[in-house]
Amino acid sequence: MKQAVLELKDYAVSFFTPEGEVEAVRGVDLSVARGEILCLVGESGCGKSVLCKSLLKLLPSRPPHNATIKQGRVLLEGMDITHYTEKQMRALRGRDVSMIFQDPMLTLNPTIPVGKQIIEAILKHSDMSRAAARERAIEMLELVGIPDPEQRLKLQPHFFSGGMRQRCVIAIALAMRPKLLLADEPTTALDVTVETQILDLLRELRDKTGVSIVFVSHDLGAVARIADRVAVMYAGKIVEIGTAEDIYYRPQHPYTWGLLSALPVFANPEEELYTIPGIPPSLLNPPPGDAFAERNAYALAIDYEKMPPMMRVSDTHYAATWLLDPRAPKVKPPVRLAERSRSWRQKE
Amino acid sequence: MIRNHWFWHGVLRRCFFFLLVMFVLSIVLFFLARMAPGDPLQSFYGDALEMMSQAEQDAARERLGLDKGMFAQYAYWLLNSLQGDFGISLKYKMPVADVVFPLLGNTLLLGSLAYILVFAFAILLAVFCTLHEEDWLDKTICKVGTAAYYIPAFWLGVVLVLIFSIHLGWLPSSGAYDIGKSEDILNRIQHLILPLVVMIASHLWYYAYMIRNKLLDEVRRDYVLLAKSKGLTRREVVWKHCLRNVAPTIVNIMAISIPHVTGGTIVVEAVFNYPGIGNLAVESAKYHDYNLLMVTTLITGALVFLGSFVAQMINEQIDPRMREAGVIRW
Repeated sequence: MKQAVLELKDYAVSFFTPEGEVEAVRGVDLSVARGEILCLVGESGCGKSVLCKSLLKLLPSRPPHNATIKQGRVLLEGMDITHYTEKQMRALRGRDVSMIFQDPMLTLNPTIPVGKQIIEAILKHSDMSRAAARERAIEMLELVGIPDPEQRLKLQPHFFSGGMRQRCVIAIALAMRPKLLLADEPTTALDVTVETQILDLLRELRDKTGVSIVFVSHDLGAVARIADRVAVMYAGKIVEIGTAEDIYYRPQHPYTWGLLSALPVFANPEEELYTIPGIPPSLLNPPPGDAFAERNAYALAIDYEKMPPMMRVSDTHYAATWLLDPRAPKVKPPVRLAERSRSWRQKE
Repeated sequence: MIRNHWFWHGVLRRCFFFLLVMFVLSIVLFFLARMAPGDPLQSFYGDALEMMSQAEQDAARERLGLDKGMFAQYAYWLLNSLQGDFGISLKYKMPVADVVFPLLGNTLLLGSLAYILVFAFAILLAVFCTLHEEDWLDKTICKVGTAAYYIPAFWLGVVLVLIFSIHLGWLPSSGAYDIGKSEDILNRIQHLILPLVVMIASHLWYYAYMIRNKLLDEVRRDYVLLAKSKGLTRREVVWKHCLRNVAPTIVNIMAISIPHVTGGTIVVEAVFNYPGIGNLAVESAKYHDYNLLMVTTLITGALVFLGSFVAQMINEQIDPRMREAGVIRW
């Protein structure tokens, strides 16, 4: 097995707010291999974004939020960075781990030319001369597919379209050739055609530079385009993780079934589009059992009492649901998902 | 080239507006001053006015040009002013130019020094507070700053004079320079220290707090996350990114605060007996010294206009989006 670039072990993040402890991430085990694209999917508020930002320690750690790594370890290429100081983190940020964000309209500084924003990232971590850094910035803009980079270097972000801006942000993030790129819903604010372009670009960059990518999204459709592996998150925990094929064709967790059934491609034109009933639980006092039980049509009695452990489906595929327990009654996944999975198996 | 064209276009347009604004301001001032109750002869003759007969008063009015209609008076004033003759001051009984211009330099020196120092310190203080947001340093500065802001300038001035001039004898208590030493820079600086301290103390926190709050909004924006994820320190983020984005606001605040800060010289000039036009402006209004009032007020008006003009030009350099916004015609 390839060496993991990022490894999380029983990783938990909480906000100690005046109202109480908000358990945003509750015990996540995860590993990302070199050059792998791992997608984190889940509804809003399931902790995927917090997970990402906490890895770079970008969460507000002071009152009233008090974001804290409550337990677990973060290994970056085998190095334990869990308790790195701010100074140590600064050396990592941008050099070993970079991050891109949701809205490129907001993440670039509006008054500084994009070139300068890239050069700044380069000069921070190298002794390159300004001219060399400028060359590198031009190279980066070329790499992310911005035509005429020498001219564009001098322009402020408002001269660029949304997709172009996200390309600039990616250029900044990858300028120092980091090992890991954390992408926090980088296509959510873009329109659909631009979204596919950016997804393809990320794939292409992964192939060219060998960067590992953790791609956070709530859109299973977008994820299908780039994911090597997919982790489905719910209420601060990973409920199912596997290769893209595992998740799309052999999903095991009722929550994954729900997410997939809600995709328009699976919709029956005769019926209303499926939605998962209810809303995610508050993480301010998360329920004791399976957090999804309340909304789960397949919930068993034990789901309300005991958190299901990660159960092995195959070497690559794990899911946290009591349905996989040998004692559990056999349930069938939703018809359309089952059909799809059957047709895929036949193709194979 | 195109940019240059628009640049000169803007300058010309603003020069035209400047003249227009000064013209309108002079009309408003002229008529408002004359509509206010009171007799200008009072300031010319003082108590002697009561001893004068009606005929003598009428003769005096005719001599001073106060007998004609208001429009005629204004036309007369405007024509002469355009030729550089602003009339005579009724109180000082000499040409207004001779009263105002020797003192103008003193006030401009005090005002502009105070202005620059207030904003330099305000920015430093605001950045410092932002970097220490909500910890004890920031909280202490906020409380001390607010308390200091509400100390009356005249009281602070008197206390400072008491301590530094009378008890310690380190600094002079009044005036702009010792007699015969108007060219001695060191002597001038000595005289400026206490007035400057009072001016800074009474304005600093107002602006520092405003800029601090602007910066605190700014550090919550998304681009700060990207800047931090590049590996920049908090200090670099605030100085290089946030301050730059707040700069147009600071420049605008600076522009509109010109009369605020320079107006502050009035109190300070009174307390330290500093020879400047702040006092003149107040007195001219009090004594119906029309010609003096016109000039002192028009100078303030011109400063305000020039301030906003310069601010706009600076902002266009900082953030080019503002330039494009200005070009749109409808």
